[in-house]
Amino acid sequence: MHLGLIESGNSCKIKALHAKDKLLQKLLDMGFVVGAQIEVIREAPLYDPLELRIHNYLVSLRKSEAELIEVEPWK
Amino acid sequence: MEIKVALAGQPNCGKSTIFNMISGIHQHIANYPGVTVDKKSGFFSVGDIDVEMIDLPGTYSFSSYSLEEKVAKEAIINENPDLILNIVDASNLKRNLYLTFQLLEIGVPVVIILNMCDVARRRGITIDSEKMSEILRCPVICASAAKNEGKAEILDIFKKTDEIKKNYEEFKINYDELEIYISEIEKAIKVNDELAISKRWLALKALEKDQTIVNLLKADNGNIDEIISAQRDKFHDTFDRDVESFLASFRYENADVIFHKCVNETRKGELTFTDKIDKFVLNRWLSFPILLAVIVIIYQSSIVFGYKLTNYTWPIFAAIKNFISDITPAADISQIPMITDMAMWLTNSTIALLNYLPIFFILFAMIAILEDVGYMPRMAFILDKVFRKFGLHGQSTLPLVLGGAFVGGCAVPGVMSTKGISDDRARMATILTVPLMNCLAKVPFYTLLLGAFFPKDMSIMLFYISTVTVLAALIIAKFLTSTVLKSRETAPFVMELPPYHMPTFKGVIIRSFERVWIYIKKVCTIVIAVAVILFALLQFPGLSTEKQEHYNQEETKALAKFDRAVKKSTYYDKVDTREEVAELLNLYDGYRAKKMGGSKDVDEKYQAKNPDMYKFLVPKADAEAKKINSALRKLSTDRNRILREQKNDKIESSLLGMAGRALEPISQFAGFDWKINVAFLSSFAARESAVATLGSIYESGKESGEAANADENLRPEERMAKNSGYTPLHAASIIIFMLLTPPCIATMIVVKMQTNSWVWMCFGMFFPFVLALIVSSIFFSISLAAGISGLAAMSWYYFILLAIVVVLWFIPEKRINWSGGIKGSKI
Repeated sequence: MHLGLIESGNSCKIKALHAKDKLLQKLLDMGFVVGAQIEVIREAPLYDPLELRIHNYLVSLRKSEAELIEVEPWK
Repeated sequence: MEIKVALAGQPNCGKSTIFNMISGIHQHIANYPGVTVDKKSGFFSVGDIDVEMIDLPGTYSFSSYSLEEKVAKEAIINENPDLILNIVDASNLKRNLYLTFQLLEIGVPVVIILNMCDVARRRGITIDSEKMSEILRCPVICASAAKNEGKAEILDIFKKTDEIKKNYEEFKINYDELEIYISEIEKAIKVNDELAISKRWLALKALEKDQTIVNLLKADNGNIDEIISAQRDKFHDTFDRDVESFLASFRYENADVIFHKCVNETRKGELTFTDKIDKFVLNRWLSFPILLAVIVIIYQSSIVFGYKLTNYTWPIFAAIKNFISDITPAADISQIPMITDMAMWLTNSTIALLNYLPIFFILFAMIAILEDVGYMPRMAFILDKVFRKFGLHGQSTLPLVLGGAFVGGCAVPGVMSTKGISDDRARMATILTVPLMNCLAKVPFYTLLLGAFFPKDMSIMLFYISTVTVLAALIIAKFLTSTVLKSRETAPFVMELPPYHMPTFKGVIIRSFERVWIYIKKVCTIVIAVAVILFALLQFPGLSTEKQEHYNQEETKALAKFDRAVKKSTYYDKVDTREEVAELLNLYDGYRAKKMGGSKDVDEKYQAKNPDMYKFLVPKADAEAKKINSALRKLSTDRNRILREQKNDKIESSLLGMAGRALEPISQFAGFDWKINVAFLSSFAARESAVATLGSIYESGKESGEAANADENLRPEERMAKNSGYTPLHAASIIIFMLLTPPCIATMIVVKMQTNSWVWMCFGMFFPFVLALIVSSIFFSISLAAGISGLAAMSWYYFILLAIVVVLWFIPEKRINWSGGIKGSKI
């Protein structure tokens, strides 16, 4: 499943990135590497961008981009 | 000895505060040619060492995709620094180490500065800096720039530069699987011997297909592209992975190793201060009221309070103005020397813009505080969805608010604050729409028109005016982003939400001064140049000989009247020549102006300056002097009337007046006559002059005698309603034009600064002008044909725009410029 489907308050682990070029590089630089743990903190007030915690810092990501990140639930 | 130090770090790591702490305020900002990202340099001495410190833009990485990263990378290659200071946010070590690994490989000695150690300690994070220094084989210093900790240690490092360089050995990471490919490229490339950068790093970057580096290598290696592609393909075929993601994972794994060996977290899993605040600030229901409150606070403190402050700064400018008027040649009755005219014009144009300095200073300080606190990205987070629908970006919020999303802002700081928007298309759209907002200087114009034509419906009209701009801006942004800006790059919305921080006083002050200084420099150069051109356009070709003759006669008449009135006075010998009368008249006008301006000891000064004539200015009990005083008063009124008529005539026959007349055939569809056209044309220099020009045109003393005197007592709006022959519909059309009209010069200059392109500056000027003309023409012609009132027409306009915005909202967004992925799939 993809990151957009994870509910607020839950954590997951990155399995693969399906982005390309600029977006891929940006995601990698921000720490979205395979195996990294992501916690979905909340949706924005208007339901789009998501607030995430990764490598112990906060980052926001639009849902359209979150859909390109393949994840599995964090046990 | 001279050393060069480069300061590198990720955004929000406190790099600027470190820069300010070490360098003091000896710095200058250099714009790289072709880009708008600042490179700051600071120069200072430590003992007998002269240090040049280069503050690179904050970057998460060293890839080629963003402007900041490119600038930072090119600076390191071109400037050839002796040391790289890597500023690291101690409370966010893992991600910050990602950049550190990239810096370590460059081949220049790196010093790691763990900034915000106090914040980290507060969050229960302790870092073993000695161990870290041992593992990474580079000095590691704990610092807290906000508390001035660590300065001595850093300066100590500068003194040891020689020693460090002598003992430096290239830092290498073992990339296991990738190693053979790196060495293949390393073997294949030849580099210039002068380049101090590690060859291995170049090879690594080339393998990442870093465009800057590939271009650099191409100079000496023609077939580099093929070599790189071959190696990349081989790696991909063997390991089924891309080089980029392999390297990123590898660096993060390394960062993880350091993190686990050197960091001890005691309060892991606890909610941080930032988490707690975010619960409120980003709450679904509270976020909007909080955002509104923040905006109101910015607006109140900068625009409202700043405007009050201008009451205190204004006398300074008035004094400068008086000084200039004193040193320029005096007027001879109704003949004003052109040099005086021009000096006053330039002074007025400049101080009209400089007058806003207090507002700008507060505004820039507020922005700096918001940036430091960490609220800016949260503002973008809250509103991104709304703005994205119209091709803008969450980060467009602040520029639009500063530009005057409510009535009263200023486009200059608005456009300047677009700098941080990462999405290029949205940034351009924001830059082009911010000037459409209602700036502070448009307000008097609206009040004049509303007072004259909509006295009863003022509040509803003001509501329309203040909100319709946002609707128009959204529509125009959507239009621009789907047409002229279509091919511009967009950027993903991957934005850090940094922890909340207390801003430092010093940092805020330094940054606001920096930005104000840029503004002053621009005002004093380009604005003056444009003012000169406008002056010429208003001055030439000047009055015809018949007109000139007419005013000469008027002057002679006025003088004769004065002469008759004072002939029998005992003081007649003091005022019986033209020179004496001219001097007295100038003295009288100067005295009155200064008295009204509220300067102190005017009386003493004028008495000392010319005791003989002073008694005519303030006659007291002297009956003879009183006689002269009253004649003088009349003469002064006459003179001012002649000057005013002369000026109006001059405007009418000037080149700008001709342009206004030439535009009449087109602008008549919008209901504008040439006077309005001239007012709009001249308002380009500074918005204020629209009111001034209109005012001076409608001051026309066409009626003489009693009627004119009665007119004098009317307020400008009453005079305009009475004399202009306009209907409220005309006024509504003028307002609509003003709402869309091109920005002032100062704004255009910052548009040029931010887009770094004359073409966009011209576009920003002509597009709104043409659009405004078309829209107000359609508006006026249709309303006139339909026979509806000004208010009704304005209501129609408002609701049509609202409807368009609603329709645009429901149009599905186009996909962005990347594709692929597992959308909707349930794996």
